[in-house]
Amino acid sequence: MDDTMAPATCSQALKISPFLEPGKATKVGSLAILQLSRDNLQPVYLQAPAGKHDGYAEGAVVNTRYGSFPHSTMIGVPWGSQIRASKVDTGSRGRNNKRKRNKSDDDRNEGSATVTEEKTEQESTTAEVNDDSSAATKKVVADVSGFIHILPPTPEVWTSSLPHRTQVVYTPDYSYVLHRIRARPGSVLIEAGAGSGSFTHASVRAVYNGYPTEGERKGKVYSFEFHEQRFHKMNKELKEHNLDSLVHLTHRDVYNGGFLINGKSPEAEAIFLDLPAPWEALHHLSRRNPKNPEDKDWVSPLNPKKSAHICTFSPCIEQVTKTVSAMRRLGWVDIDMVEIANRKYHTSRERVGLNLSMDRGVNNSARDVDEALSRLTDIETRFREHAAKSKESDDEMDGDEDDGLIKRCEKKEQKGRKKKVKTDHKPASAGSVETPASGVPLWMEGRLITRGEPEIKTHTSYLVFATLPREWTDEDEATAAARHPVTGEQKVIGVVDKAARKQERREQLQKATGNRKARRMERAAELAVTAEEGAPGVVP
Amino acid sequence: MHSLIRPNAWVGLKLPSGSTKVIQIIPDTTISLGKYGAFPANLVLGRPYHLTFEVLDKTLEETFSRLRIVPASELHAEAIAEEDEAEGNATPATGSANDAVLTATEGEEFSLVDEKGNVVARSGREVIDDSAIQTLTQEEIEELKREGNNAGKDVIAKLMLSHTALDQKTTFSLAKYKLLKTKKYIRRFQVVPIDVAGFAQWQLEEKDASKIMDMRAEMFGLVGCWGNVHYGGEDSMINDPHSRSDQCEKTCVPVQPDELKGRWLVVDDTCGMLVAAMAERMGVLYPKEGDDEEAATAEQQEVKTEASTQNGSAQQNGDVEMADAVPETTVPERPKTMATNKKQKVRPKGSDFAIPFSQTNTLTVIHSTSQPNLSLLNYWNFDITAPNHPPHPLLNHLLNLTWLQLLKPELDTSYSTPPPTASAEELASWKPSRRGNFHRKRRRFARTRYIVDSTRAGNFSGLVCASSMDPISILKHTLPLLAGGAPVAIYSPSIEPLAALADCFSVPRRTAWTSGNVPETVDKSLEELERWEGNEQFPLNPTLLQGVSIQTSRARRWQVLPMRTHPLMTERGGADGYVFTAWRAKPAEGRVEARGKFKKIQPSKKAGKTEEAGTPAETPTPAAVEDDDAAMAAKRKRADTVPALDTEGASAPENAATDDVASPTKKRKVDGGAEV
Repeated sequence: MDDTMAPATCSQALKISPFLEPGKATKVGSLAILQLSRDNLQPVYLQAPAGKHDGYAEGAVVNTRYGSFPHSTMIGVPWGSQIRASKVDTGSRGRNNKRKRNKSDDDRNEGSATVTEEKTEQESTTAEVNDDSSAATKKVVADVSGFIHILPPTPEVWTSSLPHRTQVVYTPDYSYVLHRIRARPGSVLIEAGAGSGSFTHASVRAVYNGYPTEGERKGKVYSFEFHEQRFHKMNKELKEHNLDSLVHLTHRDVYNGGFLINGKSPEAEAIFLDLPAPWEALHHLSRRNPKNPEDKDWVSPLNPKKSAHICTFSPCIEQVTKTVSAMRRLGWVDIDMVEIANRKYHTSRERVGLNLSMDRGVNNSARDVDEALSRLTDIETRFREHAAKSKESDDEMDGDEDDGLIKRCEKKEQKGRKKKVKTDHKPASAGSVETPASGVPLWMEGRLITRGEPEIKTHTSYLVFATLPREWTDEDEATAAARHPVTGEQKVIGVVDKAARKQERREQLQKATGNRKARRMERAAELAVTAEEGAPGVVP
Repeated sequence: MHSLIRPNAWVGLKLPSGSTKVIQIIPDTTISLGKYGAFPANLVLGRPYHLTFEVLDKTLEETFSRLRIVPASELHAEAIAEEDEAEGNATPATGSANDAVLTATEGEEFSLVDEKGNVVARSGREVIDDSAIQTLTQEEIEELKREGNNAGKDVIAKLMLSHTALDQKTTFSLAKYKLLKTKKYIRRFQVVPIDVAGFAQWQLEEKDASKIMDMRAEMFGLVGCWGNVHYGGEDSMINDPHSRSDQCEKTCVPVQPDELKGRWLVVDDTCGMLVAAMAERMGVLYPKEGDDEEAATAEQQEVKTEASTQNGSAQQNGDVEMADAVPETTVPERPKTMATNKKQKVRPKGSDFAIPFSQTNTLTVIHSTSQPNLSLLNYWNFDITAPNHPPHPLLNHLLNLTWLQLLKPELDTSYSTPPPTASAEELASWKPSRRGNFHRKRRRFARTRYIVDSTRAGNFSGLVCASSMDPISILKHTLPLLAGGAPVAIYSPSIEPLAALADCFSVPRRTAWTSGNVPETVDKSLEELERWEGNEQFPLNPTLLQGVSIQTSRARRWQVLPMRTHPLMTERGGADGYVFTAWRAKPAEGRVEARGKFKKIQPSKKAGKTEEAGTPAETPTPAAVEDDDAAMAAKRKRADTVPALDTEGASAPENAATDDVASPTKKRKVDGGAEV
């Protein structure tokens, strides 16, 4: 059973990439993203339960810190489902001994591999399963260790879960870039420096307008990667995600090799360059050979009929200066440089007060001046009581010891409060709802606050945007001029002078106030004219 | 989409002052740019976008100004010259660039650029008046502008040279001064297409930011991506039922929930800007283009025929329209396009009950007024209020319904009133207006019924929202309509509403909910809980969303010039804008425990993650678990859990309520077991 090759064969059966149309439920062979916690995502290619796998009687299993999840529990469920952990024997699979287990037959398909689990490469030597077609898979039993959610793959979750090969272009950046370079369904996009593929996946989604059939021009991404291993990994990934007919991946050094595909132009309108030296690749992205404009054999990779929009992604300001300089010389206009600062916020309940439970995250100091005041008064009264008592017993009291006494009182008070809170809280937790003595449930206690993440990305990269208008020759201008000849223009649009505006307003008012009146007047005027014309004829 | 400027297209004209003027290019008119000059519209028609034009001076023979295309080399000439200078480049830069540096026409006595291309201004002209810094008086400048030629460049050059303190200026202040003057006097403009990115920017910075809820480009990007808005599959239209006029609603086509794919729910209070952004991402905002040249010619001819008829028939045309249906509600500036395009093609009309909507790749707008406010879509020549709309991709892909129609359809007249019926003879005897009304009512009924039923069928691929309404109330009614794993992306100009929303899904709330601490939920099935109508403590079912997160993004713009690269000094402030994102989750039946693998770990160590306590009633596996197995498993589990409880309760506060839940769950489990 060769598992590693399986996903490719499986995904060919699925027509549309799970990124573009995941369907309603999880399927065998499909990519799924397991959400372990809010920011902990893990991609998995789901495998059919086909007997033992890698020593697991349950078939392929994902092990997380929240428990073990056999793939069989994650197949055929609606996306977004909460999956309980299962009881899986993780300890004995390396050993050779047989274990007595309760088995039941299960239907199976061909297996597929998981990319996530750092599994030991060893083959499962427990030769329990003889016949592959009727292999027994252990029935799963739910465990209490935890749960996960299973999400359909999107470029966003993929970006936060993908295997890093290079610096990743994250969602705040790529969402803005795709918006600005006008990557829309039907666009053709050039991406150089495929890297880890986060931008590739996002841009495919943006330009996708159906899988291309023969000879049809559909939205497509032409991706270039210089690094050979990254290229192979990326290629494999695209196949597994069934995006290989939407992304044309080329292994090439674009500085020297340019962007043509087999000598032909991809006719791109949108370009994203994530290269160390974008200015060295820019001259390929011209309308004509920049060195020799008369060169007829030179092919431009750009769509000759549309303006091209570019974005370059560079972390250093020196790179930006060079890129912008090269853009200016190559005829790009609307050059604009921005950097994106993204911040994530957590919401929580800020619980401050003396009478709150001693939970984590509770600030056990006074909530307000009143509370502080009452506490101080409390201590003061106690001190006085105590002092009075001790004075009775012992008259030799020093001022120094006074302070110590106050401190002791304070401590005692604190301890007492803690105890009180605890006893307050105990019955609450044993009662119907987790309601502290105050009557407000735990999750509504305190003030709702938002605060930024503890660590923020202050700089990702500088984004340089520019536009290259389509070429416009004298002949083009002549045809356009012939098609739209200048005739006697009457109406003025845009900024009109005061007199014209007033005239317009007058006409409008007249129309609005008395349509009938105006028409009657018009008719009267017409009559008058005809009468005048007719009059001389009648008279003789 | 945007290749050549088409007649009647809305475009942006970027002026040297930095402002943009959004106008519709109507053929055979004069476009006036105020102080930057005026020119015939036909001179930009059929030309490509993003070119920069210069308004030339009128020649003696012609009554209008012609335009000249300014090459990019000229636009960047100064920066390039400066760069070369900075590099100590002795050899002059490329010939064309050097010529283009702002310089007066030959033979004039002033010059700003020496042979080497240096921009430092030098003049042999004597200083006239030391007291005044700018020696040209306002009258002189006006005079220059009037007779001025060379598109304002002369004025600038003269201004520069008559500035007495010019030699005292540093290079930087010199550049600044020139930029200032250039902005004021140079007669150039650039034509940019009206697309979502450009238009939203203009609306935000120059028009009325509040109209689009201060939504910046970053926010459109984030909301679109997190909402996973994309092309939702090839159109699949519903077959016409060919119902006759005497057939009632039974012949309406029923909604086929399995056919509905790639649909997004929208709540839009940005006057249609959000809808436009989503439509652009789904490929239904711009008309499909054929071959460019062909389209252009076809349009050209059409324009010509129209031009001949337009003058006389415009008024009539309007009347015909009115007769058809509802009077057009205020479409302030744009009735013209509607009227002109109207004649294009008459759509073959199906029967009254034919549904014009695709089942895939659609947007469903829920609105709080009886008509949606999508007025900004007019800039893409789409008017939702127009009864006989010329072909537009949004017509088949934009569905709209009111909250009333969604939540209480029986109270909505157009949904609940059965369609009128009449035999063919009866119909023939009626006046045309009555007949028209009859068909209109039947059509409206069929559409409303389809939209409401298909929306209530749910299974949407995502929810995107930019609304001034409370997001909690929106989610209460839209969450059940979302497919499992569907993303939710909500924009808000301020963070407070989103924080309140995120708090509904906080860990303590979720824990309390799943551990069965809410008495109201105890006997409810999953479906019932999905439609949880909320109470004071749990406004929303906290298990319906996963991965709740709030974020904001801001783009900081930089000026990139040789030796003068820095972030811009000022930028638009106002609302920061926040985006709430999450995914629709399908909670497992019964209680779910998450106590971690705590065999070897100290209980206190595992406190960091979400703790939810309880015993599952049944495993959610597709492989059916036999009754006794499940019971056994459950029993075993309970046995496992009980001893652990004390340590749990003490260490992890979220788990404090573990034990008290046992009884309600047990009850539920028994019920569940009986059902199986």
